[in-house]
Amino acid sequence: MNWAKIRLERRDEVTWAWRLFCFLVAILGTLLVTGVLISTAGKEPIEAFKELFIGAFFGIDSIVETLVRATPLILTGLAAVVAFRAKIWSIGQEGQLVLGAIAAYWASIVFEGLPRIIVLSGVICLGFVGGALLGVFCGWLKARYRVDEIISTVMFNYAIFYLLTYLLSGPWQPPGDFYVQSAPVIEKALLPNLLQDTRLHGGLFIAIVVAIIVYILIKRTALGYEIRAFGSNPIASSFKGIKPTRMLVVVMLISGGIAGLAGTSELLGVHGRLNTDIAAGAGYTGIIVALIGGLTPLGTVIAAVLFGAMVNGGFMMQVVTGVPKSMVFAMQAITLLFFLCSTLMSQYRIKRVTEDV
Amino acid sequence: MSEFFTETIVISILAAMVRIGAPLILAAIGELIAERAGVINLGVEGMMLMGCFLGFFVTFETGSILAGIGAAMVGAMLMSLIMAFMAITLRLEQFVTGLALNLLASGLTLFWFRSLLKTIGSTQPNIDLLEKAPIPFLSDIPYLGIIVFSHNWLVYLAILSVPICSFFLYKTKYGLELRCLGENPRAIDMKGLSVAKRQYLAVLFGGMMAGLAGAFISVGSSIRFVPEMTAGRGWLAIVIVIAGNWQPKWILVAALVFAFLEAFQMHVQAVGINFPYQILLALPYVVAVIALMHRRARSRAPASLGVAYSRGS
Amino acid sequence: MLEQLQIKNLTKRFGTVIANDRVTFDVRRGEIHCLFGENGAGKSTLAECIYGTYRSESGTICFNGELVEFNSPRDAIQLGIGMIHQHFVLVPPLTVLENIIVGTEDAKVLLNTQKAENKFKELCARYELKLNGHAAIWDLSVGEQQWVEILKALYLDVKFLILDEPTAVLTPEESDKLFRILNVMKRQGISIVLITHKLKEVMQSDRVTVMRKGKIINTVDTKSTTREQLTHMMISSELAVQGLKKKINSESTVVQIKKLDVRGPRGGYAVKDLNLTLNSHEIVGIAGVAGNGQKELFETLVGIQSPESGEVWLDTEDITHWSPAEILAAGVGHIPQDRYREGLIGQLSIVDNLLLGMHRSPRFAQRGFLDQERVRAFVQEQVDQFEIVAPSIDTVVGNLSGGNAQKVVLARELFQASVVLLANQPTRGLDISIADYVHRQLLEKRKEGYAILLASEELDELIKLSDRIVVMFKGQIAGEFVADNPDLEQIGLLMAGGNL
Repeated sequence: MNWAKIRLERRDEVTWAWRLFCFLVAILGTLLVTGVLISTAGKEPIEAFKELFIGAFFGIDSIVETLVRATPLILTGLAAVVAFRAKIWSIGQEGQLVLGAIAAYWASIVFEGLPRIIVLSGVICLGFVGGALLGVFCGWLKARYRVDEIISTVMFNYAIFYLLTYLLSGPWQPPGDFYVQSAPVIEKALLPNLLQDTRLHGGLFIAIVVAIIVYILIKRTALGYEIRAFGSNPIASSFKGIKPTRMLVVVMLISGGIAGLAGTSELLGVHGRLNTDIAAGAGYTGIIVALIGGLTPLGTVIAAVLFGAMVNGGFMMQVVTGVPKSMVFAMQAITLLFFLCSTLMSQYRIKRVTEDV
Repeated sequence: MSEFFTETIVISILAAMVRIGAPLILAAIGELIAERAGVINLGVEGMMLMGCFLGFFVTFETGSILAGIGAAMVGAMLMSLIMAFMAITLRLEQFVTGLALNLLASGLTLFWFRSLLKTIGSTQPNIDLLEKAPIPFLSDIPYLGIIVFSHNWLVYLAILSVPICSFFLYKTKYGLELRCLGENPRAIDMKGLSVAKRQYLAVLFGGMMAGLAGAFISVGSSIRFVPEMTAGRGWLAIVIVIAGNWQPKWILVAALVFAFLEAFQMHVQAVGINFPYQILLALPYVVAVIALMHRRARSRAPASLGVAYSRGS
Repeated sequence: MLEQLQIKNLTKRFGTVIANDRVTFDVRRGEIHCLFGENGAGKSTLAECIYGTYRSESGTICFNGELVEFNSPRDAIQLGIGMIHQHFVLVPPLTVLENIIVGTEDAKVLLNTQKAENKFKELCARYELKLNGHAAIWDLSVGEQQWVEILKALYLDVKFLILDEPTAVLTPEESDKLFRILNVMKRQGISIVLITHKLKEVMQSDRVTVMRKGKIINTVDTKSTTREQLTHMMISSELAVQGLKKKINSESTVVQIKKLDVRGPRGGYAVKDLNLTLNSHEIVGIAGVAGNGQKELFETLVGIQSPESGEVWLDTEDITHWSPAEILAAGVGHIPQDRYREGLIGQLSIVDNLLLGMHRSPRFAQRGFLDQERVRAFVQEQVDQFEIVAPSIDTVVGNLSGGNAQKVVLARELFQASVVLLANQPTRGLDISIADYVHRQLLEKRKEGYAILLASEELDELIKLSDRIVVMFKGQIAGEFVADNPDLEQIGLLMAGGNL
């Protein structure tokens, strides 16, 4: 029998050139497979990729739009980085993002009469709290009842989405409105623009600040050390006084909160009102971004910008070549699959073996 | 309120429960086999969605429902082959691969839906439903006839898959090997049996069942395809396996409970009772979490679930 | 006599480590042949090559006079070779019978339990084993599980059986029974390879092959050799700790354990009504087969487990329900039984591993931020002091040798402990020289006044180091001995559950 007769052997030394080579192979593989899929729809792949690239990077408007698209991905990506570093497999960023946006919208109603600076900080804080609450709840379920966090977070992604549609077709739907969406957020709760006459908003600033904080957290603090230790060996960590319960709750609080900020930023920087497109898959894409970024803050920011570019370029691709922009989402998943394989290839030698396995 | 629970209504809710439960059972039985082999396939949702789309698309193109169902199974199996290769051969983190496959299916089906299925004017492409096939005599039994024996053949297949799976696991040699695999793959390896081969086959079977379940959701119960049509049912199938404590008969029960919730919700929505139906839509997912909080669930979780096996080192 | 198995110049490498270096080895039909050597000498690797688990890089294997090539255990099984592994290869939730019949050729598709059960009963009768075929493995005692392993092999009608440290989990009484079974097998013409590092077992064999550091040292007839000669072949360096242990009068009680009850993983009591005191300047040794509550006792003392009832006092404080962090802060160090699982974080560096447990101490962290410079200086100091061999202090601990990894644990725990040191199997699987190093460190700490609790399966080690030896059996203290000149037979008897 010839089933999977290969074995992985760790490479002693990994050179930069080899790593780069593996990375390029991954990109090439992604383009190849995506190209084949594009041609299944009877379209010209090269043309599509060209338009994708032009749409993503050519001209100041394109670059601004790429950054706008990257902003929620940076935040959800960082949320995944914090959780995954502790080997807590939370995939609840989507739901936390939505709950963050709901909480922020609610805050904007409650704080309406207060001065702008208070409204703005209050709204952002509540956005964080909204996501954090959901995160902590899932962490607590795991700590207290051993409910698998993958399942519970996914379940709440769906449940929270139905909560959102309920709010938008009931209590928060403006009277007489036909669309499933809320009334616009009050002016003074909106995030300020970073660049005049563009869509570049303060959310990017928040995202960069959070990236720096996460970097410091992981590298320089005792809590970050605990996250790394707990993630690599929870048993040995607990023997030396790191409590699993506390880690689950604290990590999910931070991770959920950051995802909540993504929702806040989308609500107050892009949409200006609550609607069902508020998440648009950013929670799930953030996980890919974090994994491709090697679970480091800097890598995540870079990967998020690249993925933002893909989404942004997708519009140009759709308009010019007629290839639906949803192709980009498939392409992102393919990128992850190839990236996983290429990371493995860069660290291990894949050997054929004669033993039957 | 009293006329809300008349006999006919209760029967129709229960019949809907069986119909809605069918894809959940199919997918959960497939996932059970994969998990018993020690591989946790979190890509069920994606494989179902792929099956759902391909089932619809091929039926639409060829006019043959059987061809559609076949394509759904093959498409989902191809995805499960990726899952198996990455999880078993490359020994990558299984949950990451599963998640990637979900996202792949989500993007790809939407892409194909937009590019391959042209809307003609304002009418969406549609197909004929898989026909109902009431079983002679059995469908005449009062109550039970309508609830169980008046569906299409995929429903019967789903129900039958439970005892078949049970028989396979507990009465056959291969079932015994499979039960060992998820607990302690070394026991299989040291008897000179191939662990990888068995795990590949189990994951491929899981994929095939997910594809079948997906096909049911499109050709078995709808004349149209809608993006994200599976709406989390693949994830529910995974929950059902856990809530059913990795045993076929309890999986059947768990699947029917979730199906009942949805049947009930549909009925409430149809009757137009003044109650926010979105809350009822969210209910299965909340119930799923509550079900997992129960301590007795998980007691029979395969011990090596999700851990890639390697002989040496 | 005919050689049933002949191995010539077999070499097996794992990465850069040579586990078997040009091994030449033969086994005669119907003999009990011991493979004797220290942990890590390459005995198990050789056995796995014979069983087809591993493939050698070079060399030849002849079985029944024919050159064979094993790609999988399947090939070995087909020739009638069986193996009982050091760690059980059983499926705990399944029944004894299911474990025995899985993978056998009996059934085409459907399981035929009746036929299997008859053969099972017949085997049980022949070898005088009492087992219920329908009991689940996890309801059996460790000894009974070993019988299941043996029955698995016998069920396949093996002609050649390899047993890898089969008595490690058995009581002396059960070990004797095992040898009775082996002798029955021998009379039926089955060849037996017994891997062991216990002299007592070696002396019951027909021939013995001594291995050291992957090489065959010699093969001799057991009758024509002595224990001393064999030990000399097995060990390269002489033990040197003797005489270090000077009598010190202990002054005060440090730890008091009163009527401790701790639940085990499967319901019952792992520790039952246990009373023990530890004094300063004293090493108390715990003798006993692993699995008699040692693990639970240690885990309770460091705060990982919560006892059902009873008390633990440290000086004048009741620490029964303290958290691991609090107990650590009170100066209790712990060298856990499984260093890679419980002691170290394999994927992190030496720096991070030495910091574990001290990452919130004011010495290394201010307001939640780590002082990297101080940490690194401290780690460098420790690495130098304990002579930890590593490319740099940023080397990942998983890449260190077993001895150096244990030194990391030792360095950390000795630094963090200030009054009590708990050491559970601290030298398991280590080279003699490193084990010796660990022994010296423990004695050094004893001199400084620490109260030390040491559990070990090696009686020699306990006698060498301890002031008192207590025997643990089924969660209870079965007896206590002064370690100067203890009665080994009595200790052995208590370890096996006997009464004095």
